[in-house]
Parts: sequence; structure tokens; C-alpha cells
Amino acid sequence: MLTTKEFFYIIYTDIPNTGIITTEGIFVDIKKVAAQLCSADGVSGDESSASAAALSLLSRYTDDCGIDKFYNVFGKIGNFSDNKPVLLLDAHIDRVGLIVSYIDDEGFIKASPCGIDERILSAQTVTVHGAKKIKGVISTFPPHVKKEGMKDIIIDTGYSKAQLDGAVSLGDRITVDAPVSQLTDDIITASALDDRAGVISILYALELLSGRKLKYDIAVTFSSQEETGEAGAKIAAYNSGADLALEMDVSFAYTPDAKRFQCGEMGKGVMKGVAPSLDRKMSDTLINIAKEKQIPYQLEVMNGRTGTNADSISVTKGGIPSCTLSIPLKYMHTPTEAVDIRDIEATARLIAEFAAE
Amino acid sequence: MFDMLKTLCAKDGCSGDESAVAAHIISLLPDDCISYSDGLGNLIVSKKGIATPKNKVLLAAHMDEVGFIVTYITEDGYLRFSPVGGVNASVVIGRQLHFKNGTVGVIGTRAMHQMDKEEREKPVEFDELLIDIGASSREEAEQKVRPGDCAYFECGYTELGDGMIKAKAIDDRMGCAILLLLLKKRLPYDLTCVFTVQEEIGARGAKTAAYSIKPDYSIVVETTTACDFSGVSDEKRVCSLGGGVVVSYMDKGAIYPKELYSAAMAKAKELGLKAQTKTMIAGGNDSQSISVSAGGIPTLALSVPCRYLHSPSCMINKNDALALASLTAAMFCELCEK
Repeated sequence: MLTTKEFFYIIYTDIPNTGIITTEGIFVDIKKVAAQLCSADGVSGDESSASAAALSLLSRYTDDCGIDKFYNVFGKIGNFSDNKPVLLLDAHIDRVGLIVSYIDDEGFIKASPCGIDERILSAQTVTVHGAKKIKGVISTFPPHVKKEGMKDIIIDTGYSKAQLDGAVSLGDRITVDAPVSQLTDDIITASALDDRAGVISILYALELLSGRKLKYDIAVTFSSQEETGEAGAKIAAYNSGADLALEMDVSFAYTPDAKRFQCGEMGKGVMKGVAPSLDRKMSDTLINIAKEKQIPYQLEVMNGRTGTNADSISVTKGGIPSCTLSIPLKYMHTPTEAVDIRDIEATARLIAEFAAE
Repeated sequence: MFDMLKTLCAKDGCSGDESAVAAHIISLLPDDCISYSDGLGNLIVSKKGIATPKNKVLLAAHMDEVGFIVTYITEDGYLRFSPVGGVNASVVIGRQLHFKNGTVGVIGTRAMHQMDKEEREKPVEFDELLIDIGASSREEAEQKVRPGDCAYFECGYTELGDGMIKAKAIDDRMGCAILLLLLKKRLPYDLTCVFTVQEEIGARGAKTAAYSIKPDYSIVVETTTACDFSGVSDEKRVCSLGGGVVVSYMDKGAIYPKELYSAAMAKAKELGLKAQTKTMIAGGNDSQSISVSAGGIPTLALSVPCRYLHSPSCMINKNDALALASLTAAMFCELCEK
């Protein structure tokens, strides 16, 4: 059995074409991990490379897995024949970013946001994922000059319009470059932890379940297009045949400028969702398991829907009772998202204890 | 020259904390240079040429970059900080900063989802931002960082586009690299260079350096603001990447002698080097200090146009930098003989 930390680093290094780096190597060189994470882009609607990376990880636990037409990753664990109820474990694979909407005569790219926090964009380095991968900088006025009213998001690639022809097209996705770094032994910062952290919690739960008897047949989906309206989950949940579902996403971790009652706390365990849109019975069961198994948890009470795929999954087909398990995350939808690995571990343990006989 | 620029940009040295840059420059100096540091930390380097010039000419570039200084550590382990030099808070939020001891921090606020539309569209200010180094208490934070420590952008040196470079601190490590390039050459005349400190907080290093050296002429080798990007009208673009060396007639800090300005423009034309001037009176540099030192020193400012100055992504065109190096060398000789 791997420790969570070892597992976490293997996940982040196991991107296609680079192979698995031994845990020894990873602890020495976190920067390598960073480079590999950046290779999995996957802005909403263009998830193919991220989905391929996630599929290669999921395939350790089942041969019955694949990617559908909408870039949803799916997999089945269990024999799906003895009338066990099917438990769906879902996390979304897409990440926030930008999309190319116009290229002007001088070659400057105008971009529109896909979920990203626009306040952080000035002077960021970006990668345009076109026919070629092209680096650029987001234009901004320096402090020396009075700002003209600049509303548009402009990307400066250093190329002319003619040079960009054939390399970049309208509709190409753009990611903001950010290295993966460790703030402490347990706290990691990276872009796309929303919701790759959720994906990791599911994979780690499957690791914890290896060799254990299952109460459910398990369907796993890493769904696309969550950030732009949960389209992937609507399709994936329908196809999964699920009878009940757990949604693993990230949620707000407290920072000093936030309201305490709107946030969970980083390092204090999985945020167990309670909401009118979530199933009460599952909710109670999960709380009891967390108490019994001494899994650190905190309650995240919402007053309607949850803002996660659970909202769509729960109203799929004739209704799928659902619950959210969220990982507290700071600086959501920015390139400096931060999570505590111990919270991912708590999430995985709660999934595993819920799914095990 | 660009290899040197890359290693120079990778060094961390905001105003008042330039020692690592100075040490690196010293390591790059050829053996026939004489160097010393003055009381403020300016690095003064001289090298014998084939002849003694009629006029003593000083070349100046500043070592310091914009950065951040920790002012306070909160009870729950976050760092309050202020910019050193002019930085917009919008280029700080959503980024990693690092300290010289390797500590990494991130800058953010509560999630955009917890803000109303007005808040989301309002430009951020420094007093809203904290550095998060993952510490959960003041005691834990103090083990890694103390008030007064300086934080830096990631270097991010990258070649991109059609002959462009972007990195932090190109302002003014580009000038430092050009001075080093000249110091490595066989020189027609004796040369004095100063790598100054504290330019970004009021051109303070240049004051003491110019006083000690007392040159007859000076050339400040710099980067200057270019706003030639989409959505900016022609007259507000200041200058353009690919347009060549920027020769200044006036900026916020100095008015340059007309004859030096004209001589530099004429020299560029004579040598077939691209040159331009600024379409706005913007920015300032060590000229503001040098030109009024020691009874007055006629000063020329030659710059490479740079987009996104004072951000982690300063961007220049390599051809402009090469033209700047050539024109600096040529004007050095001309002023020596003048």
C-alpha cells in the first residue's frame, strides 16, 4: 500500500509518454512533476489530453474503461451481474482557462474566459493549444503609463498574423502556465487542482479498495465540461447506470478575507455536503462512517443546489440519490490553487469505507 | 549576450538587496577589469583601452529589479507585503513568489465565486493581498520568513514568437548584459561602467556613483516602456518592439541635451541601426540623478523597448537589444572623442 503522498506524486507524474518516476526521484525533483502536470491541459470542451492521462491511471484498477465521444472517462469496477446497486464516483476532468475568439491584423489574440478568475490575468504567461503549442503573454499596461480603458483579454505571442496562420485558430484553448510547487510537506499549489484533486481522491479510493469486498458495483466517471454547465456529467451519469452517486469536487477553503461561515478549513478533512438537493439518508450514513472510522470531516451546508456535477447527476434518469464530498481548496479558478494532501486522503478513505462491504 | 541575460534575470535582487546580482556580474567580468563596490553597493568597473580618451565617459545600467518586501506576519501565518518599486497589484495576484531561501508563497484572495460582480471587476490593491506560504501560525511562518525579507517573481525566461524574449527583471539586466558585453571586448578607449543599485526607488545609487566617478559624459543603458499592443492608439504606444533603439529627448526624470539626442539619432542612421523615440513623456531612469551630479554631467539614455515592464513577463525583441548594444558602443567612442 502506498502512502497518500507517494500516491499523489505518482498521479501527478504519470502523464502519458513520460512514464512513472520512482517515488525516490519525485521527492528529489518536484519541478519535474510540474512540467508533467502542465502537459495535461484540458480546458472545458477540449479535454482529450487530460482524459487520456486520467484513463491511463484508471486502467490500473480495471480493464473495463474508456473515453466517450464527449471526452468523459468511464470505468467499471465489479462484475455488474449479481444485482448489486451501482455506485457512481464522479469528478470533473476539465479545468478553467481561456478560448481564442479573434486574431487581429497585428497578430494579437483576443481571448474569452472559460471559468477563470479574470483578476489574475495581467502579464501571465500562457500556452495556446492550437495546431502547435505557442507561448504568449497577456497584455497589460505598466505602472508608468496611465491606463486606457482596456477591457479585452489580449494575448501577445510575438508573432504576426501571417505567422500564426495554421498554428492558431479561433476556438483553440489557452491555459495559464504555472509551476507545481510545495508550500509545506502537505500543501501543494498548482493550476487545475480544481478538479484534478477530486480525480486523485477517486483513484486513491480505488487503491484503498484493492483486495476489499465491495458493497456496490462501482462506476467511475471523470467528466468533461463541468465548468461550462456540467454537460459531461449529464451524459456520463446517464450512461453509467448508477443507482446512487458520490461527487468529488473542490470547495472553498478559508482565507483571511473570506467569511468563516462560507468556507471549510484546509487540513481539517473532507467537506461533507449537506443540502436540500443532496440525499439525506446517504448524508447521514457518510457522517456515521466518518465518525466510526475517525476520518476527519467538516460539514458544508448549502441552501439549495451545490454548484457541482451532483446537481445534474441527481436529476439524471428517474433520479440518482447523490452526495458531495469536497476537498477544501484555496484560490479557486486561479493558477495558484492550493490543497492539503491530507484532505484528499480523508476524502479517499471516506469513499472507500462507504463502498466497502 | 542573451546567455548572460538569461543568467542575470535568474538572479534575485530588488532595490536594496542587489548583492546576488553584483556577485554574479563580478563572476562574469574578464580578468583585465578593475572593480570595486561603493558604500551603497554600486559596482564600479573600469577597463583600460588602447588609448586614453579626451573625455571620460561613464556607462550605467541598474542591477536592481522590482520586487516585494514583507512588512508584517499575521497571527494566522500570512505575510503582509508591499511592492519595492512601481508594480501594479494586478500582476501579483494569482502567482507564486519565492524568497531567496527557497520558500514559496502564493498570492490570492477568497474565491471569485464569493464576490459580487462589482468586486470581481474592481482592480485589486496591495492592501487586499497576502502571501500564503502554507504556515498556519505566526510562529510557523517566522521559521521561514522575517519582516524585511524580499520576495520575487518566478524568472520564467522564455524565447517566444519571432525573436522575442520574456522574463522578469529584463529591466535592467538587459543593460547589465550590454555593459558586460562591452567589458569583454578589446576597447579603443578606457571605459568606466557602473552597475547601480536602488534605481527603482528613486535612482539613488546613480547619485553616489556619478559623484565618485565624475565623468564628462554618461550613457544610461536601459529598458523603456512600450505599449504597442492591441487596443492602444498609435500616440499612446510610446515606442514599438522591433522599432530599434529608443533614444530619449525627455522623460519624467530628465531632459536630455539636444545635441546628444541628435548625435545618437545621426549615428544610428549612419550605422544602419533602427532607432526611434518615445511618443509620450513617460518613465524615468538613472539619468535623472547622473545628469545633475557633480556640477552637471551631459547624459544620454539609450533603451531597448520593453512591453509589460515591472511585471513577471517583461518582453523584448532581440534585434532591438542587438541594435542597442551596437549604438551604445558607437556613442561611447563618439563621446570619448568629442
